[in-house]
Amino acid sequence: MIQVRELVKEFHGQRILDGVSFELRQGEVTVLVGPSGGGKSTLLRCMNGLEAFESGEIIAGPLRLRGGVPHAEQVLVELRRMIGMVFQQFHLFPHMTVLENVMSGPRFALGQPRSVSESLARSLLERVGLSEKMDARPAQLSGGQQQRVAIARALAVHPAVILFDEPTSALDPRMTAEVLAVLRDLARGGQTMIVVTHDMELAREATTVHVMERGRIIRSGTPAETLSGSGW
Amino acid sequence: MPRGCLLLFCTGCLALTPRSTVAQDSAALPEPARTPALLRWGADPTGGAPYVYQDKDGNFTGFEWELAGYLARKLGRVPEFRPGDWDKLPQRLDHPADTPTGIDIVLNGYELNRELAEDYAVSRPYFVYRLQLLAHRDNDQMQGWADLMPRTGGPRKSVGVLGGSAAHAYMLKAFADHVDLRINPDVATVMGLVQDRRMDATVQDTPAATYFLRVMPQLKAVGEPRQPGFYVIYLRQSDPELLRGINQAIADGIRDGTIKRIYEKYGLWTEDQERLLYWMDQPWPQFSANQPRRSEADPESADDSAVNPWPRMLKELIHAAGMTVFLSVTSFPLAMLAGMLIAVGRVYGPRLLSIPLGLFIEVIRGTPLMLQLYTVFYLLPMLLPGLALEPIQAGILGLAINYSAYEAENYRAGLLAVPRGQLEAALALGMTRWTALRRIVIPQAARIVIPPVTNDFIALFKDTSVCSVILITELTRKYNELYNFNREYIVELAFVTAGIYLMMSYPLALAAQWIERRLGTETGVSR
Repeated sequence: MIQVRELVKEFHGQRILDGVSFELRQGEVTVLVGPSGGGKSTLLRCMNGLEAFESGEIIAGPLRLRGGVPHAEQVLVELRRMIGMVFQQFHLFPHMTVLENVMSGPRFALGQPRSVSESLARSLLERVGLSEKMDARPAQLSGGQQQRVAIARALAVHPAVILFDEPTSALDPRMTAEVLAVLRDLARGGQTMIVVTHDMELAREATTVHVMERGRIIRSGTPAETLSGSGW
Repeated sequence: MPRGCLLLFCTGCLALTPRSTVAQDSAALPEPARTPALLRWGADPTGGAPYVYQDKDGNFTGFEWELAGYLARKLGRVPEFRPGDWDKLPQRLDHPADTPTGIDIVLNGYELNRELAEDYAVSRPYFVYRLQLLAHRDNDQMQGWADLMPRTGGPRKSVGVLGGSAAHAYMLKAFADHVDLRINPDVATVMGLVQDRRMDATVQDTPAATYFLRVMPQLKAVGEPRQPGFYVIYLRQSDPELLRGINQAIADGIRDGTIKRIYEKYGLWTEDQERLLYWMDQPWPQFSANQPRRSEADPESADDSAVNPWPRMLKELIHAAGMTVFLSVTSFPLAMLAGMLIAVGRVYGPRLLSIPLGLFIEVIRGTPLMLQLYTVFYLLPMLLPGLALEPIQAGILGLAINYSAYEAENYRAGLLAVPRGQLEAALALGMTRWTALRRIVIPQAARIVIPPVTNDFIALFKDTSVCSVILITELTRKYNELYNFNREYIVELAFVTAGIYLMMSYPLALAAQWIERRLGTETGVSR
């Protein structure tokens, strides 16, 4: 479904990603673990087209992005409609209500009518347990609630894959549990995901775990193979 | 560049040049036994030919320049020219003459006027003028004064006059609402607009008409000159000795032919001037029926409102305030739109776009609004003849261009204040970059900059007053006009005008506070 081949990303002469390669199949939940600064978040940003990369390639369905060359906006837009992303700091739009946040993708990215977008947004907010907060502003929600809205917003454009960049690291344990419940629900529903996390509980439920360190994947396998006795 | 164009440009630039006193050549004076007293005389040289103006070598000249020199010699004084805005010259008599803003006499085509004569001493007349109608030579529709009246269903003719002048008063009295009267503080500018056919006609005193008919051959005199009147010198009532000296000098100059020689040099000696000698021995001043009385400037002054001019003045001020509001509410949205586009171009556009946009902002912010209005209204049509804008169009465009630079900087600050993650979150949803900016980033930036943008809108309200230089009568211009004709109410008019500005701007400030509070509630951010 998605292949990452020999991805290299440099920043100010420092190599952040150093030949990363892996493959993601439909319905899989892949977890990236490793120490901070290992390149996990940068890898997700490259896969979402938010960062250019020097060499290597990303193949997503019919799209093929090569490193070292600028990509047309239309290619990036298609990539992002295929690969959604949820951020550590949520990045909800503060000038919109919760409902409008979730509607924003279908309306402004996909050009769907307001009524269709609203119906979809309502059902997604119900799915993440926030149907009573539709008219609230993001600042009126807890961190866990905000992250669940962000997940609903990402789901609203029907991406084949969703990238989660440390979705629980800004949350306290109770709110983390709320978000993890949503992620498990998505995984059970067959949503293909890549999750960057330090949460071992979540990692143990993955299909595949990649351990990243200094810009490289140093170990891959099932949770049992990669996490036992390694400190990760 | 045609001569008229050059003249216009020069007058525009001169209007922006800091003024100072100018010592006149006193070489012709006899060697003084002791330091002679000064004769500080006030006049406005801006577009002031043939009264007082600068020749092509930059030297001051004009029939009043020479008359001032003659009077000073006769009085045993040294003439010192103190330039200033024409309509504010009498007020400078209220300042002590030995201060930088003070003057001894006003000598600048000021006609005999009842209100001024109540406040200041009046000399014997030194010139008899009439009002001359001028139009473009090819304007066949203008053959006489009667042609100023609009044809049935046709547009009103645009007629330029010097604000506060006898021509202004006469046109208000004789034609009132039948013409589109355009007020300007500068004769040369009005002449240039008639020459360029951007104005149908102008009414000027005969000296100005005579001079400009000579230097602008595209102009023609229309009909016979009307409404004879006298130019007089105004001075302090507390200086009777100077008044006597000036009257004696004028009488001597007329009798011995000195003044005739000066006027002949400028082609201004006419049969009318022969009457001056008669008035040297008559009781003076006399206000005949032919003398334009400022209090009679408005046709309504014949009724009860002459006793109480406030209803009329308030009506005129409120009407002019409407123009101020119109200019503001039409130009500011344009400025905001342009400012936002410039800011987006600078922050998110390619570097090649950012550089010229930055240059535009610096040029606009670094030059005065008045110069920009001059450029849009007077210079642009010279460079691109198809772009001759009406005054209101030019005013709106000029204000929008000027304020777009300031709004661009406001919005740039707002855009930079929106966290980068907002744009990334929008892009991650599959929005195009422009959609992400338009739907996500710009609305947030616009909310952030509401306070400075509101401040600028209030500032623009007041800056509309600069539009008077391009013939727009807005609130401040109307105040100037009214006090010229109602000098006894000068203070009250100032307070009323300021009050109207306040009544317009204070609700805006309240509205801005309300919007800020509302948006603060919406976004859950207390402000």
